Amino acid sequence: MIGNVFPTFLIGLREGLEATLVVSILVAYLVKSDRRGKLPLVWLGVGLAVALSVGAAALLEYTAAHLTHEQQELFDAITSIVAVCFVTWMIFWMRRAARSIGGELRDKLSEAIGIGSVAVVGMSFLAVAREGLETAVLFFATIEGSDSPWYVVAILAGILTSVVIGYFLYISAVRINLTKFFTWTGALLVLVAAGILKYGVHDLQEADVLPGLNDHAFDLSNVIDPTSWGAQLIAGMFNLTVQPSVLEMVAWGAYAVPVLILFLMPNRTPRPAAAVPTPAE
Amino acid sequence: MRKTLVLTGAALLGLGLTACSKDEPKSADAGGPIAVSATDTACDVAKKEAASGVVTFAISNKGGKITEFYVYAAGDRVMAEVENIPPGITRELKAELPAGTYETACKPGMIGSGIRAAFTVSGSAAPLTADAKLADATANYQRYVQSQTVPLLAKTEEFVTAVKAGDIAKAKALFPIARTYWERIEPVAEIFGDLDPKIDGREDVIAEGMAFTGFHKLEQDLWVKGDVSKSGAIADQLLVDVKEIVAKATAEKLSPLQLANGAKELLDEVASGKITGEEDRYSHTDLWDFAANLEGSKASVAALRPALEDRAPDLVAKLDTAFKNAETTLAKHRDGDGWKLHTALTTGELKELTDVINALAEPISKIAAVIAK
Repeated sequence: MIGNVFPTFLIGLREGLEATLVVSILVAYLVKSDRRGKLPLVWLGVGLAVALSVGAAALLEYTAAHLTHEQQELFDAITSIVAVCFVTWMIFWMRRAARSIGGELRDKLSEAIGIGSVAVVGMSFLAVAREGLETAVLFFATIEGSDSPWYVVAILAGILTSVVIGYFLYISAVRINLTKFFTWTGALLVLVAAGILKYGVHDLQEADVLPGLNDHAFDLSNVIDPTSWGAQLIAGMFNLTVQPSVLEMVAWGAYAVPVLILFLMPNRTPRPAAAVPTPAE
Repeated sequence: MRKTLVLTGAALLGLGLTACSKDEPKSADAGGPIAVSATDTACDVAKKEAASGVVTFAISNKGGKITEFYVYAAGDRVMAEVENIPPGITRELKAELPAGTYETACKPGMIGSGIRAAFTVSGSAAPLTADAKLADATANYQRYVQSQTVPLLAKTEEFVTAVKAGDIAKAKALFPIARTYWERIEPVAEIFGDLDPKIDGREDVIAEGMAFTGFHKLEQDLWVKGDVSKSGAIADQLLVDVKEIVAKATAEKLSPLQLANGAKELLDEVASGKITGEEDRYSHTDLWDFAANLEGSKASVAALRPALEDRAPDLVAKLDTAFKNAETTLAKHRDGDGWKLHTALTTGELKELTDVINALAEPISKIAAVIAK
């Protein structure tokens, strides 16, 4: 039985990770920069996205309504590309933050980097909405189309596990010192954003807006089983797949390389950061 | 209410989803969804064919690996797909499929090109094209249009390049050739509102409050002024307009009735514009257009032919004779690869052309009634 429901668990975990990774970094950032007041906005964005995804999925499952293939892919692609914009902003806040904390106090930090309420809601909304609809549709399909209640448990367990992983990520992010935090989470976000962009390009190819869906850059499917837990996790976090199209990888590289260079480029030598006590969360 | 939720979400994301489909062409799956049984090594699709419209598949993963299900059109274009079907789960896929041949594919383990099988969709939701031969007519004519739009664009580009380079002799030689492709498919072009007058309007459009642009403006610059040094903007605009019409015409599906009317319109064009010498009043290359109109008209009729043979075989015989006469009469005025200038024809010869065109217009005007039966 476990063997049978495990793949369902993995899908829940993978889809959940896509969202929790971004959300947990956002939360950690707000906490670290003493902007806890913005936290409700995060939950507002997440809540909106969940409500919307579940509502739309219920519609699709229980009524005759349906989205055409193109509409579905375009929805995915556009939310992905908008999400990339938001995450890119975040990355450069991180950079400015990382540069501006040379020994200064934390209240100075919060002045240095304003983060708009709209951006907070938008980012958390998009992080969840992007894959939320697909996950919710799968969830209802699992309720309707499975021969045992264990599948529903498995998919929920997968999503919950991703939330737990996100929580641990948050905990460890909050504990490390500020300079490191900004550098590491920023670099991590670059990879996440590049992955989201790559995914968006793939969707545009599936919607037939861009050509070349079947020109594969490489094919590791003989080496790596994409259904294995490792491959699923990597796919969930960084959208790296075993058989990407050429255009996907070009988009990935065109984003990741320059942004990472820009992000890590020292504009001045930061002084060693003062050890800032962080509140025990 | 049903749509509001999806639409709200779509609006939030700045995406104009035309949400859903309570009013789509009726679902083709009278007997419920088509069951697809997917395992790690097989992909059994219960039915190999369906009527066009919304086709629903219910894919049950009975294997041990996560699977995906695709419906591909020619060239592996994805028509619909559902990913993430874990073992033990059944997921539904609704695909809107026009008539044609497709391939279904399961991808156990989410890799490779999948376990393929042919899938045929037949019939059509539109009532008039319910007759398969009429449906074919639409498709056949669309192929003809596509065969003309490619050279139309290529020759227009060459023509525009010659105008902009100030190469008057070359531009003059290309003018009637580019127009040939245009005149063949003019009935399609006329569907797209003011693009037709922008590309093909004569000086008379000024009276209607439009700017005089397009082929005939350049014709005036080439033949009357003999100076194209200021024609660059008009030439660029012509190319933009032709590109737009090519894109639109390629996508446009004419109904059988539109084909019948188009064949008739082309002949009216010949009578009112070409035989009178009005169309190409500066260059006098009217016979190129005449020949192209005649060919375009014949192509429309040819597309309808299978349906006409069923319904009115005697009309088909009349059409064949009349087309032959018109072609033979026109052929007298050939000149090398092209045609004599309009000014070289005598009044008697023009009268003769008028007569054969009128003789052809008569059976052609009856096609619409036969098609609409």
